[in-house]
Amino acid sequence: MDNVTTITTSAKKQRRWQLPVNKLLPWLLPVAFLAIWQLSVSTGLITSTLVPSPWAIVQDGVDLWQSGTLQKNISISLYRATVGFAIGGSAGFLLGLANGLSQRSRALLDTPLQMLRNIPHLSLIPVVIILLGIGETAKISLVAIGVLFPIYINTYHGIANSDPELLEMGRSYGLSRWQLFTKVIFPGALPTILMGVRYALGVMWTTLIVAETISSTSGIGYMATNAQEFMNMKTVLLCIALYALLGKLSDLIAKGLESTFLTWREKGVTHNG
Amino acid sequence: MAEPIVTLQSIEKRYGARTAIHDVSFQLYPGETVALVGMSGGGKSTIMRLIAGLEKPTSGRLAYRDPHIVTRVMFQNDRLLPWLSVQDNVGFGLRDPAVTELLAAVGLAEAADLYPAQLSGGQRQRLALARALLAQPQLLLLDEPLGALDALTRRNMQDLIMRICAERHLSSLLITHDVQEAARMADWIIVVKDGTNVYQTAGAKGQGPTVVASVGEDVLQVILQPAVTP
Repeated sequence: MDNVTTITTSAKKQRRWQLPVNKLLPWLLPVAFLAIWQLSVSTGLITSTLVPSPWAIVQDGVDLWQSGTLQKNISISLYRATVGFAIGGSAGFLLGLANGLSQRSRALLDTPLQMLRNIPHLSLIPVVIILLGIGETAKISLVAIGVLFPIYINTYHGIANSDPELLEMGRSYGLSRWQLFTKVIFPGALPTILMGVRYALGVMWTTLIVAETISSTSGIGYMATNAQEFMNMKTVLLCIALYALLGKLSDLIAKGLESTFLTWREKGVTHNG
Repeated sequence: MAEPIVTLQSIEKRYGARTAIHDVSFQLYPGETVALVGMSGGGKSTIMRLIAGLEKPTSGRLAYRDPHIVTRVMFQNDRLLPWLSVQDNVGFGLRDPAVTELLAAVGLAEAADLYPAQLSGGQRQRLALARALLAQPQLLLLDEPLGALDALTRRNMQDLIMRICAERHLSSLLITHDVQEAARMADWIIVVKDGTNVYQTAGAKGQGPTVVASVGEDVLQVILQPAVTP
């Protein structure tokens, strides 16, 4: 017993020493990259008109913020992303539920949906522009179509692959259909559905960026294309940095959803580990 | 003698061309524990599933004294819902004094807010037992629920189930391939072999070794084989 205790404490001590290293390590390369970049531009190694320094990009961001353009474009992009996600996500979720729960609905809808899924949704841009012009509807529809499929597929699979043993138990224990859904089927499908949400959030940004780059008069994508026409590398790079930040934000939202709804899974892990 | 709560008469169950059980006939009386003993694949579980109403017999008569009988199955693997806490597993989210009472009865009062993944194998089966008791069933169907437990935990669970069945005057059908367990818990032992009931003991509880011997050396040999290497 004594031996065991000593080993555990020494392991803990070691971990305490390693912890800051592990926390800092992910930031090492990005920070080094920025530092080398900044230095290369400052020392004149790279022409600042072609590749501006990171600091110049930050200043550009501050200028655009003060003039109000940055906020305006970020908020219009966020608006399109959210509305498109809400529409496409709900449609995908409802279709997934219907096909996961009903044989008849599955027979009717799954094949056509699988066929549509294999069309790259960005190839619909010309169609959408011809049909809907370059207004808000066009961009929101594209985001909605892009988001629909990952949510549909994951909801459908999560629901259809419910544990048959748990279902049998629920039925034999007299659960109503609604209880069977809320207590057995849906909670069991939730991890798979949330995986779909995470993936769909990525698709949401990609679609929006492409749509705004090709056909728009506002939004972050438009800001980038517009800056490109004026050879304004600072703003182009600023837009790319914004995408990175917004992507990270979506990832945090997805993680937040998982830790809110899947607490039971973490509990299990703590016990086993 | 009281009227049997379940009567099985010449029951047959086929899955396509395969006959799972045939010529199964026996009766279950109120307050009794009957054990179905036999090899895996011999048809024990099929008999239980028919009595539980999970499946319908192909032919034969399966009659309940009370047509609205409540039966509950304690499954081989506990089939707990991992996303519900211990107390919510008992009544599927229902919060009721009866839930608290049952958790206390099976010794899980302290664990009410834990999740199934945080319980040991024995605790999980205790919880499954509490869940099975909530609807106050007249018949408890035990589908080898203790198979995966270590010897000591298993013995404690046997005692707990026997005590609860006696307290509530509950009939139960125990499926097991362990003759010792059957002799310990059951009033009668029915030996199931090749899809039919081949032998019924005159009594079991409290007559351990005699019954085990009376089952017959050859049958016992066959039965005990899978128990040695589960």
